Amino acid sequence: MINAVLVFNNNGQPRLTKFYTQLDTSVQQRLLSEIFTLVAARPPSSCNFLPLPPLLAPASSSSTPSSQESNDAPSLVTYRHYATLYFIVISTSTESPLALLDLIQVYVEALDRLFENVCELDLIFNFETLHAVLAEMIVGGVVVETGLDKVVEGVRSQGRVAKRPVNESRGGLSQGIWAGR
Amino acid sequence: MFEKDIYQLIRGLRAHKGNEREYIQKALQECRIEVKGQDMDQKATALLKLIYLEMFGHDMSWASFNVLEVMSSAKPDTEVLMLAENMLKKDLGSPDKATIALVLTTIPHVINPSMANSLLADLLPRMSHSHPAIRKKTIVTLYRLALVYPETLRPAWPKIKDRLLDETEDASVTAAIINVVCELGWRRPQDFLPLAPRLFELLTADKNNWMAIKIIKLFSTLTPLEPRLVKKLLPPLTSIIKTTPAMSLLYECINGIIQGGIMEAAEGTTEGDEVARLCVNKLRAMLVVEGDPNLRYVALLAFAKITASHADLVSQHSDVILECIDDADISIRTRALDLVVGMINANNLQGVVERLLRQLKTAGKAPTESDISHDRGMHEGIEPLADEDDEDMQATIKSKQQNTAQAPPLPNDYRASVIERILEMCSRDTYARMNDFEWYIGVLVDLVKQCPASVASGGFGAHHQHGLADASTFVADRVGDELLNVAVRVKAVRPEAAAAAQSLLLLDQREQIYPTGSSAGQGVLSAAAFIAGEYASMLPDTDAVLTSLAHTSSANLPAPTLASYLQAIPKVFAVLVAQHQGAWTESQQNNTTLLTARVIHFLEPLVHHANLEVQERAVEYLDLMRLAAEAASSEQTGSDSGGYTAPPLLFTQAIPALFTGMELNPVAAAALRNVPTPAELDLNTPINSNLQMLLVQAELDTDFDDDANDVYQFYNEKPSAVAVSSQQRPAAELLGEPTGSSRSSSYQQDPDVEPTDRDAMLRKKAERRDRNRDDPYYINPDRASGRSTPIHNILRNANGEELDVDAIPVMELKLGDSGSEANRPVPTKRAPPARKPKKHFEIAGDETLGDQTSTSLSASLSKSMLSRSQKSLLQVDSSGLSALSLSDNSTRNSASQIDIERRQAEEDEMSKAIKEVERLRLEMQRAQEGIRLRDMPEEGTMVKRKKKKKARVELLGDEAEATKGEADEVTTKKKKKKKRKEDDVAEPIAAQQDEGTDAETAPTKTKRKKKRLVTLDDDAVE
Repeated sequence: MINAVLVFNNNGQPRLTKFYTQLDTSVQQRLLSEIFTLVAARPPSSCNFLPLPPLLAPASSSSTPSSQESNDAPSLVTYRHYATLYFIVISTSTESPLALLDLIQVYVEALDRLFENVCELDLIFNFETLHAVLAEMIVGGVVVETGLDKVVEGVRSQGRVAKRPVNESRGGLSQGIWAGR
Repeated sequence: MFEKDIYQLIRGLRAHKGNEREYIQKALQECRIEVKGQDMDQKATALLKLIYLEMFGHDMSWASFNVLEVMSSAKPDTEVLMLAENMLKKDLGSPDKATIALVLTTIPHVINPSMANSLLADLLPRMSHSHPAIRKKTIVTLYRLALVYPETLRPAWPKIKDRLLDETEDASVTAAIINVVCELGWRRPQDFLPLAPRLFELLTADKNNWMAIKIIKLFSTLTPLEPRLVKKLLPPLTSIIKTTPAMSLLYECINGIIQGGIMEAAEGTTEGDEVARLCVNKLRAMLVVEGDPNLRYVALLAFAKITASHADLVSQHSDVILECIDDADISIRTRALDLVVGMINANNLQGVVERLLRQLKTAGKAPTESDISHDRGMHEGIEPLADEDDEDMQATIKSKQQNTAQAPPLPNDYRASVIERILEMCSRDTYARMNDFEWYIGVLVDLVKQCPASVASGGFGAHHQHGLADASTFVADRVGDELLNVAVRVKAVRPEAAAAAQSLLLLDQREQIYPTGSSAGQGVLSAAAFIAGEYASMLPDTDAVLTSLAHTSSANLPAPTLASYLQAIPKVFAVLVAQHQGAWTESQQNNTTLLTARVIHFLEPLVHHANLEVQERAVEYLDLMRLAAEAASSEQTGSDSGGYTAPPLLFTQAIPALFTGMELNPVAAAALRNVPTPAELDLNTPINSNLQMLLVQAELDTDFDDDANDVYQFYNEKPSAVAVSSQQRPAAELLGEPTGSSRSSSYQQDPDVEPTDRDAMLRKKAERRDRNRDDPYYINPDRASGRSTPIHNILRNANGEELDVDAIPVMELKLGDSGSEANRPVPTKRAPPARKPKKHFEIAGDETLGDQTSTSLSASLSKSMLSRSQKSLLQVDSSGLSALSLSDNSTRNSASQIDIERRQAEEDEMSKAIKEVERLRLEMQRAQEGIRLRDMPEEGTMVKRKKKKKARVELLGDEAEATKGEADEVTTKKKKKKKRKEDDVAEPIAAQQDEGTDAETAPTKTKRKKKRLVTLDDDAVE
């Protein structure tokens, strides 16, 4: 199953954190920063799988017990890097690593359809839409939908997806409009 | 007040670059106020803002009550949903499917067993909801319910199964069910065997790759249980491998074939051989394919799974796999490393190790500081910084951005794991693959330099006490252990090992080996000191080693290392002074005096060391050294007396004898277990029946000795007189007993079987002596020569012969007849002829007793370790499921019947409880009226009433369960009140004054209870 889905930007600023297990806020942040440390150090030519961060590493480092118990523990950190954002999925061994990469792709494509040329700003101002899309795809850590059309349709049926506020137009932004505020 | 909505918050955050923290604090404060306001919209907005800020690590649990408030508001669509069971139940029945969907996605996050029990009845009907999106989410939510409350599956599973078998069901619902079954499958595969035909049908229908992957994963857990499946699965899997365009499906096919044991099961058949060849070839192709590191990574994962069963198949591809240990990507390297450990043989060992060593040497060490700067979460949590450059953020995220590539320094844990792997490869099967130990010692010394800087330098060495191992901190210890292991096991290279230990210990090399300001690598010092001490005679420069060991800077080492140092110092000293066998000359005397002075200077401050082990050793050896100093200065030199004088006996015999005895040999970890328990060993009889008394006595004695403790004792201990009195016996009784009473009641032997006649005693004695002739741990009272040390002789003479050593049972270690087993060379099986002319090294194996190998111990150890192993973070425990069987139809039905009955019973109980509360309420009312009779200020109750109204809102969310708890609470209160009433009757006037104030609170509470019930009733009416 999927244990957590995280989205953060190149500076490690979280844009979405979804944990399918109860976790202390402070531990969440710690995990986030550990994964960011790992992911930020990777050159773009690297593969999309991370070693387990220290917080998730099994207690005994030398031996990796192949017992059934380990099926419950998160063992796979898959990520994809899109422009300014990292999308991360932490999962157990019951998930297929390559399929998870496709899952992230579907997620991003769904966002792209909903926002039309999605960019980080859209996600900043519509973090509830990020959650809504995710809820269409994953419930309680289990994938419920992988079809792009159905995901988009599911989100749209819940109501209009807001674009970012009107005055956050692209042109305005690049002029450094924020500096004046 | 200016009220912000979520956009304004985000915007404001972005505008306040540089003082985000301040801004957030202000925003949090505003939220706190807003959330307490009356306007539901404002409350909801505040919560939304809090949720946003929580993502950045600002705890919002304080607002959980306000969340409930917002949820309970009549206004729908607040977007804020958290818990409250009845709310969830209500919304599950909502006609709006978006609401149901929201609840379904919420439940997995908040579920607990009792909640699961109560929500189950509301969830089950949703499985036949007209909308497939609701159906699939319900099924997944039921799975999460089952994780905390396995009984869920009894009523739910038949329905889920029906959905799965229904061919007209929506494809996405079927896919969701497969995902759930796949999660359940590995826990109880036998329950899902009946589904095999349907799964097979879905697999071959070939509509959805995602689903096919999961089905294959599921099958890989089923095939070991049902071998006939293998034959059935082979054709479709082979065809998928050959035809599918989806790489993920192709990979999972291969993976499934490996994990499901299909390769072994089909071995020998033509299809089986074909599929095995096909799989391995595909995996090889994935490894060598250019430009897709992901495929390389997963191929290595798959290879790792085959190694256990098909090591030969994997080693055929060792060429490509070995290439991967030098891959630019650390993830791939790590995977390759796991594999390589299993592929090592005598021929490629040195090449691989040197390759890894080169990797460590060329890559820079990860500076610890930069790690910390990355770990912002560690210090203050992640702050939402104002965004750096907005242009970046507008880049459409679909286009993959390419950063400039730079080779990062190796992270510490990777470094540590490489070193561990090197050690593992080299030492495996008692060095079966090792051809050249001199080379290995060189490697070990090199590895010390490559040890990663430990993260917490202060905590270094702490694992000795706590048994907790942090890989990056303790690799150096492992290297030290290896060095020690080689020194002990391989006699031929002991001089080299001693030289290596010296190079690690010498102060002037410290800068070079251990980088300043970091304790990296220092873990090796403990082992190095031991080697230097134990094989001191082989040290190239004994004097220099002693100087380094006894250097004042050594006193700052961590306690375990220091303890090892302290043990090594007298050993090295002994060798140093014993080296001069000639006459005792003046220079000799000066030299020795100097040495002792130096050691004494080092030891003296350590007598007060905080660590007990260090302290004890320091005290012991300090006295010995003082003795030595005295001997050195008092013994007349040859020049003084004019003739030949032998050096003091203390230096030539006594001190060396302390440290030379039988050689230390490796002993198997399980050997101790195999020591037979002596038949006459009785652990149940107290050694001294008077022990308790003696302890009390001793305590009393020390009391008087130590004045400083008086104060402590006065405050902290029970009066000792009491303790004594409980143990005291009449003095006459004590006198009447034979003086040796405590000794005569045997320690280990049953008094009845104790041989009483002297002949039998002697016979036993002689027997034991024979048996223990070669036992170094057995002190033979008659053996004056040999290993009996001068000090021992002194002791023996002082104590006299009557000391019955034989009465002390000595554990026998049957180590073969003449210790030949100790030197038994390990059977070296090396199939391929060595590339180099192989030097012959004799490697001492573990000594053990009997045939039981150490595996039993290690197995049981690892097992217990496993069971103790902590639950991983983020882990969702599914172990509860393994106890629940889904297979038997009849029991299932009856069980679900039972479940429903139980629910019925629970409801009955609940209604009973409500009646009980009702009854209590009436009673309380009466009681209250009773209190009212007393002149209580009227306005007191008025005030309370107002409060009650306020409380009402809070209580809306309360559940039926709470009423139950209240009922109990009420009963206790009630009892209290009754009691108070009785008291009042007893002393009516005197108590009146106090009672007045007391009563002021009492009725309020009862009143409140009443109000709650009313609210509940209202709810029920709704």
